[in-house]
Amino acid sequence: MFSLVLTWLIVAWGALACVYLLYRAWTRFPRRDLDDVVHFLYPVDLSLAESLLDPAEDFSLRWSLSPRAYREAQRRRMRLYLELVRRMAHNSVVLVEFGNAACGGEKLGAGVVSELQQAAIKVRLYSSFARLSLRFRLLLPPGAFGVIPLPDLARLRRVAELDGPKTYDELKTAAATAFTQLRPAELEALTRNL
Amino acid sequence: MNLLLRYIPLVLLMLLLWVLVRRRAQQVCPFFFAYVAFGVAAGVARLAARLLAPLRPEVYYATYWITEAGYDLLGILVMYELLRTVLGNLTHAWWSRLIFPAVLIAGVGLSLARAHASPAQFERGPSYILAGEIAVRFVQVLVFAGLVTAVPLLGLRWRQYPFGIAAGFGFYATIALLTTTKFSDFGTGFTFLWRVTSLVAYSVAVLIWIWFFSSPQKAETPNPDVSAPSPGVLKQYLDVLRRMR
Repeated sequence: MFSLVLTWLIVAWGALACVYLLYRAWTRFPRRDLDDVVHFLYPVDLSLAESLLDPAEDFSLRWSLSPRAYREAQRRRMRLYLELVRRMAHNSVVLVEFGNAACGGEKLGAGVVSELQQAAIKVRLYSSFARLSLRFRLLLPPGAFGVIPLPDLARLRRVAELDGPKTYDELKTAAATAFTQLRPAELEALTRNL
Repeated sequence: MNLLLRYIPLVLLMLLLWVLVRRRAQQVCPFFFAYVAFGVAAGVARLAARLLAPLRPEVYYATYWITEAGYDLLGILVMYELLRTVLGNLTHAWWSRLIFPAVLIAGVGLSLARAHASPAQFERGPSYILAGEIAVRFVQVLVFAGLVTAVPLLGLRWRQYPFGIAAGFGFYATIALLTTTKFSDFGTGFTFLWRVTSLVAYSVAVLIWIWFFSSPQKAETPNPDVSAPSPGVLKQYLDVLRRMR
């Protein structure tokens, strides 16, 4: 009985995947061109991310604050890092969509697009796992950390074998390479927004 | 069933093999190329054995089951190749190496559970091959559905060869699992329905592969023959990077 239910679930998943792929083939990918990239990016302060993930910062807060104040400060820092990760994920989606659209054209070299996509997908992978972890930690009531030890934010630097700030920095480099080949006038806005 | 209709997938497989040779697919996805080449050879062997069947029925029986075992083995190898290609580009995390064995174990487990619930009315050898075939179908659906789920989650580009291969196998395997699960309720009409549905589904799968391989895939890495950027361009890159940090 259990195996039959599981079989039906797998068949349904396969059928849904077929329908989704058909829908994607029908609608194609979103035609995001250069004008739809720069103004759709949210700025990510990497130096702030670095300071949030700094183990020394965790350590000094733990020693200078009372346990209750430390828990509250740590939750605030988690919310702030969640916002940064959310922006990283959003920017990577915008760049992936741009990369997918650019794949059909001849403006960018295949290697440049491929590097941009790979970097964006890595950021997406990192941000998916990091957001899941942060959301789970933030779901727990503040009192729960009196029983469960509060995890260091520094541990979120490496998730799924990916270094968050480093991966995002690679995405910025790949984007800079891709955009330099297009219009230099747009670079200023890109550096501001990414 | 009309002999001509029965061999439509063979004709389509021949066309696909020609497209694969033109695209030099043996360098990009060697196991899939081997699968298609084997499919053509197996189709021709079955046709020859069928013509011989009135005189030597055992030849067709042996050819059929040996080629089925070959399809199972190559089907699994193609799934391994797909996951290695897609995941290898995404992550080098230790757990990514466990995905294929986990999917394989799930497929074999479900196939064994199914074989236990309703044992096949065959001799021992063919029943093992049949159980293996169902396990391969489970693996194909799981790999396909997993990859398609990753498209919206990670923003993967689906119009590339590994997704095309997974889509063909996934479509056929979903229909095959559906027919073997549901059509068995139809009693004696099952065999005819199963044959027709399998034939149509496999033909559609081959058409999906032909469609995906009909356009060239963009190179993944930059061409090494391209000359290095000029000092001016390099300076421009450096300026941009400096402003971004």
